[in-house]
Amino acid sequence: MDPIILVLILVSAVIGGMMASLGVHLLPVGGAPAAMATATGVATGCVMLMTGSALTGLFTASAVASFWEFEHANIGLVALSGGVGAMLMIGWTMLVANLLYVFGAGIVPVSGRVAVDPITKESQTEYKTPRTDGHGMPNVSYISGIAGGFVGGFGGALIYVTLENYAHFSPATAGIVAIGIFIANAILAAYNIGGTIEGFHDPKFKERIAVGLFAAFTVSLLCGILVVVATLVFPYLGLGGAL
Amino acid sequence: MEPIVMVFAWTIVVIVLAFIACLFEDLESDEGSQSNPNSQVQLAPEMGYIHRYYNKAISGEGLSYALACTIAGTVAWMMLSQGITPVIAIPFGAGIGSLVHMIRATIPHLGREAAHKRFEQPIYMDVFYGHLVPIATHNFMAVVCITAIAYIQSPMGPLAAITGLQVAANNPFPLPLLCFIWGITVGAIGSSTGDIHYGTERLFQDRPFGEGRRVIYHGQICRYGDCGIRTSKDIVAFCAKYGGPATGLTFGLIVLFENWRTLIGMMAGGLTGGSWSPELASGVGIAIGLVIGVILIISNLYLVRWARKKFGPFVGE
Amino acid sequence: MGEEEKAEEKPKEKFTLHFPTENNLSIMGIVVGALVAILPWLPAIVKGVGAIVVILWGADCVRKTARYGLGTGVPSIGVLAMGYGLVGGITGIVIGSVPVLYGVGIVEPAVLIGVAAVGAVGYISGILANSEKFIGMKIPGLERGMAELGMAGALAVIIESSMIAGTWNASVVIPNIIENGVIATIFILSGFGMLQPFNSCLGADERRGRTLLVSVEIGGLCCIIFGVVASLMPAPSGILQGIQLIILGVIVWILFYSSYVRACLREAHAVVGTGLIKTMR
Repeated sequence: MDPIILVLILVSAVIGGMMASLGVHLLPVGGAPAAMATATGVATGCVMLMTGSALTGLFTASAVASFWEFEHANIGLVALSGGVGAMLMIGWTMLVANLLYVFGAGIVPVSGRVAVDPITKESQTEYKTPRTDGHGMPNVSYISGIAGGFVGGFGGALIYVTLENYAHFSPATAGIVAIGIFIANAILAAYNIGGTIEGFHDPKFKERIAVGLFAAFTVSLLCGILVVVATLVFPYLGLGGAL
Repeated sequence: MEPIVMVFAWTIVVIVLAFIACLFEDLESDEGSQSNPNSQVQLAPEMGYIHRYYNKAISGEGLSYALACTIAGTVAWMMLSQGITPVIAIPFGAGIGSLVHMIRATIPHLGREAAHKRFEQPIYMDVFYGHLVPIATHNFMAVVCITAIAYIQSPMGPLAAITGLQVAANNPFPLPLLCFIWGITVGAIGSSTGDIHYGTERLFQDRPFGEGRRVIYHGQICRYGDCGIRTSKDIVAFCAKYGGPATGLTFGLIVLFENWRTLIGMMAGGLTGGSWSPELASGVGIAIGLVIGVILIISNLYLVRWARKKFGPFVGE
Repeated sequence: MGEEEKAEEKPKEKFTLHFPTENNLSIMGIVVGALVAILPWLPAIVKGVGAIVVILWGADCVRKTARYGLGTGVPSIGVLAMGYGLVGGITGIVIGSVPVLYGVGIVEPAVLIGVAAVGAVGYISGILANSEKFIGMKIPGLERGMAELGMAGALAVIIESSMIAGTWNASVVIPNIIENGVIATIFILSGFGMLQPFNSCLGADERRGRTLLVSVEIGGLCCIIFGVVASLMPAPSGILQGIQLIILGVIVWILFYSSYVRACLREAHAVVGTGLIKTMR
């Protein structure tokens, strides 16, 4: 196989894995306390949220990748489609979650970690219930979540399209391998943030992002090498066709 | 019929099924307190709050729905590959999937309540038996819709059978993998939106309305119903009024706008005739998606501003 | 018929003997898993037992890492195992199927390259997760746990693929398992076998013997479902292999499910038909 394609697979696995990790760091995830309006963020674990959104993106990306029938797909456009798909999933989820906080429980979305919203400059502290860690998705968390969904979906779709279109895996194989690499990175990132984070304005983000990206780099490099080895030996099986 | 009309018609079927699927998904998770609010049901006996809730900690909702939907999809795929009609194969597969889900739901109630021995939490057998059928039926509704969505979109479904278009309108993934993808997604949405109505409002209904639940309240859940002692079945009737439909709306809107922007992009790229341009098709889809993203940010801006103005700063101690 | 009797003996033996200790279970899992993986001509029933043992091993690994609290829920580490398992398992299947390495058709050890590689990846990610310099989770034995989980995941993918398709050779597995999406079922069912037991039995009075019963029970469920899938597969699998698996699965599932339910009801504080709740004040 063409060495350029092998390098491309490795690079896209590494970039995709690191983007998955960055996406998890950007999402506002409150975990279990957010379901009781005790913490700011989406009321679920980051792994499920990131995987759910990235899979929505992957669904669209796989349809878009099949637009190119007889030639190589445009990596950028397919990955962007995946990113936008994941972004919409996160966006709608957070908007309806906010609707539930506002109209179902009568709670103002507010950040618990910063006193002033860095984007809209709205003050936060006096709207917060004492002895909670914030509740709902304030605007800065919302924008951070949109960005996180976009980045994560882009990463997942990038791994998929390279495997499907350049390494000539079948769509199902490429999808399942991309899911494997993506999930491993998302979980390590979730351990890095310790379960909850509010977004890029959270002090935790600055503190932990370098470590998280380094861990994602290492793990996805190793996983990428395994995939490259599989791609490399596949033509010697004498099966013809695609992996 | 024009092929493009058929594509849009099937897409509308998918969207309607998505609304129903996620509605029942959320109600099913409330039926036995799955996912995040379950941490409170788990904590309650440790705080001395002996309760009659059903403790359904199978795993996160995403994974448990991925399990039920993937099994349903696999069974349906096997039956379809044997030439059985989808009208039978899909409900049968979903039945097997929700049977497995029900069996999985029996494990955590027994296991977690037995692990609460030192807090003197008994196992109420009427709670145990009484919730199994509601769990299975709600789950069946969600799983049958998801399996049908995956069937319509899969390469063996009706979208793939539409001819006369420049590219195939179906998704290239096989049926079980599509079930897996939609199962994880529906669970992730159900746990991140619907749980709020259950966890914040219903579990702490005896606490002041309009404030976040403080850490000191945790575990001190509301154990009494309108009449007598509350079981998890009472939760569903409450959450069916707002939490469940809102959750269904989320998944429906996601599927609606995902499919709509892809289809509009495909039409702009020349799906129905003329020269097919994949770059234009995907580009238009991405542009529409980005516009929707901006609209979402603006609507959240207005929602938060409205709530701040209407509700005002926190009052009380 | 002799094989079916063997399947009946195996669970009964475990009933009376209790589960082996954590270290012994790891050794047992890796030895049985590796043996079953490198001998693809074994009948499906033996592979089924191998899959049950591997899933049991994975569940024990989840238990020993997750009981210190992961920060984001127990299921995540089981999914991590299967995420690594997919990458390692598919790599192992492809490498093992290279004709030069394919052995003489009796012992085919090259598939273990993928398992070992993913074990190394797991160990490195364990170091990253546990070390003070990096993520700093400070969980004793996390490095070893993640390595074992990666290996268990990869072995589960390989053994279950070969259970369904009759062999793990890529020329059979890729069209019959991966391209039609059965791999998603393998992913989620073996993942559940590893992550559900501890998640569902969590609590102050959790007991290892009771938790691991669930894992074997899910192993039985896997055998039933994969047996049905296997009976529809073309040769070298087929209806005979599928029926073996279904019989094994039904026996294991009934035995372990009923013993789990009985153990829970016996060990609970009280089992009452119905009743009011204890009021505090």
